[in-house]
This record gives sequence, C-alpha cells and structure tokens, in this order.
Amino acid sequence: MADDSTPKQPRPPGDPVSGAGQGWTALGYLIGGIVAWGFIGWLIDQWLDLNGVATVIGSVLGAAGGVYLIVMKLGRG
Amino acid sequence: MTGQSILRAEVPFPPSVEDFFPPAIVEGTYPWLTKFTVLVVLAAVVIAAFFLIAYRNPKLVPTKAQWIAESIYGFTRNNIAHDMIGPEGVRFAPYLTALLSFLLLTNIFGIIPGIQVSPNSHIAFPVVLAIISYVMFIYVGFRRHGLGYIKHSLVLPAPWFVQPILIPIEFASTFLIRPFTLAVRLFANMFAGHVILLVFTLGGFALLNSASLLLKPVSLVSWVMAIAITFLEVLVAILQAYVFVVLTASYIQGSLAEEH
Repeated sequence: MADDSTPKQPRPPGDPVSGAGQGWTALGYLIGGIVAWGFIGWLIDQWLDLNGVATVIGSVLGAAGGVYLIVMKLGRG
Repeated sequence: MTGQSILRAEVPFPPSVEDFFPPAIVEGTYPWLTKFTVLVVLAAVVIAAFFLIAYRNPKLVPTKAQWIAESIYGFTRNNIAHDMIGPEGVRFAPYLTALLSFLLLTNIFGIIPGIQVSPNSHIAFPVVLAIISYVMFIYVGFRRHGLGYIKHSLVLPAPWFVQPILIPIEFASTFLIRPFTLAVRLFANMFAGHVILLVFTLGGFALLNSASLLLKPVSLVSWVMAIAITFLEVLVAILQAYVFVVLTASYIQGSLAEEH
C-alpha cells in the first residue's frame, strides 16, 4: 500500500499486534501453558510418586489456562 | 537390492547433518573460519557497503540504489516499526532494518548458485540473533517500567483466583518460549529447506548413477523438483526474515505498552 495517502493511525498501546504476531502469541500461550504446568505436574509426580497423574492434570490445566489467556488477550474487540 | 549396491561411492547420498558443519577453510581454524563465518561477514560487509554507497550522495530524485535502500528502510520504518510499536517505535527502525537486511541476505544465500547454503541453517547463528532480540525487549521493558516490568509482564488483569495458574504460563511463554521459538523457527525452516534441496539434487545424481536402467530417467523428475523447491525457498527465505523482524517488533511493543 505505497500509495495509501491517508496517514495510518498507530495502534493504541496495549492493543495486540495483528497478523503473525497474534498467531504466534496464541501458539506461545498454548505451548507455554502446557509446558509450564506440565513441568510443575512432573515435579509433583517426582515428589509424590504419582505415576504421571499429576503431569497429565498439570498439562490439561495449563492448556486451559493458555486458552483463557488467549481469549483474554486476543479475544477483545 | 540395497541402497548401497545401486549407488556409486562418489555420490554423497543421502545427505546428513555433517553437511551443516563445513570444514575449516584454512587448516586449524575450525570453527572460526568456515564457509558459514565467511558468509556472515560477507553479508555484513555487503549490507554496510550497500547502504553507505546508496546514501553517500543522496538526491531528491533518487538513484536506483538509493531508491532500493530507501524502500527497505521506509518499509521497515513505516510498516513494521511505526505500525506495530507506534510513534516511539521509529527509534527501533535502524535495528529492525539491519536485522531484516541481514536475515534476507543470509537466507537468500541458501539458493544463490555457488553458495547454496544459508548460515541460518546452523542453529548457532539464529540463536545469537534471537538472544539479541531477547535481551533487547527485556532491557526496553526494564527501562520503561523499572522493576515493575516483572509485574507488568507476568500479572495480567484477571480474577485473583486464576492468577496462580496464569503467572507460570505468562513466565514460560514470555521468557522461555519466545527466544526458543524465535531461533528454532528460523533455523528449522532454513535447515529443512537445505536438506530438501540436497535430497532432490543429490538424489537425481544417485538415480542417474544407479545400475537399474528404469531408475535413470527418474533423475529428471528429481531435478525438476529441485528447481521447483528452489522457487519455494525464495518465498521461505523472505517470509522467515519478515516473521523474525515482525515478532521482534511485537515483543518490543509488548515491553513498551503502558497497560495490557
């Protein structure tokens, strides 16, 4: 859009960036959620000898938290 | 009939990870003087020289070189720095432009005949570039918010009872996943592209040299594929350079933002 004569308004601060940025943000939250809480669950597993139950619960909880963050950060407007 | 028996020994097929560890150019200088380090220095010198020459004697009606240089800088400044970060993002435009030109050139090295490998297909180079962007957006955040940057980046407006679940996720996605994906995305794309080109090009020779008469003509298909993939790699090279810069800008924007 080189011949776009109307000056573009910069995005208001705090507004999520568009396109690729949004996509990678969403992916980052989902992976981050599963990795972070999966790891915490794994630590609890090692500690209490739960045979992976806590890892599974942690991963699912983390995925849910990740989805919550995606909706909260990218779902507005 | 095994793979070995139909191939002549001189065809280095199949490609392996060894292909991404080029030997030292002068004996005993490994790993400081290899094809990759020479290419990185070459890219830096070419870009610096290009911009210096293009802007040495700027004209109101630009010459071709000046026009190209202005287009690259103008695109990064207006479409990436200003649009994504805002008016104060303009001061990051020089870094983003340098990053974009460097990535574009080093990625395109992957398909220039005679060079045909991108330094970014070795994980070491994307890692360093990702670390620069990583340190930069954290530094910018601390400069803007002071120690409040930790709260700014970890605590989002949400009910208090979900905060314990969200804070580890925010921490992981911002401080662990971001630099990792930034480096690995670029590396994996360039690595995979080079492996695919090697498979089809060397595979063509392997098929041509095979003992079976039926397999020889298939080498043509292999080479046609290699040419087609080369064009695809042009797209990948440009896209990955752009994505890297856009994400760096988006991380800086996140660090500068006043609220969420």
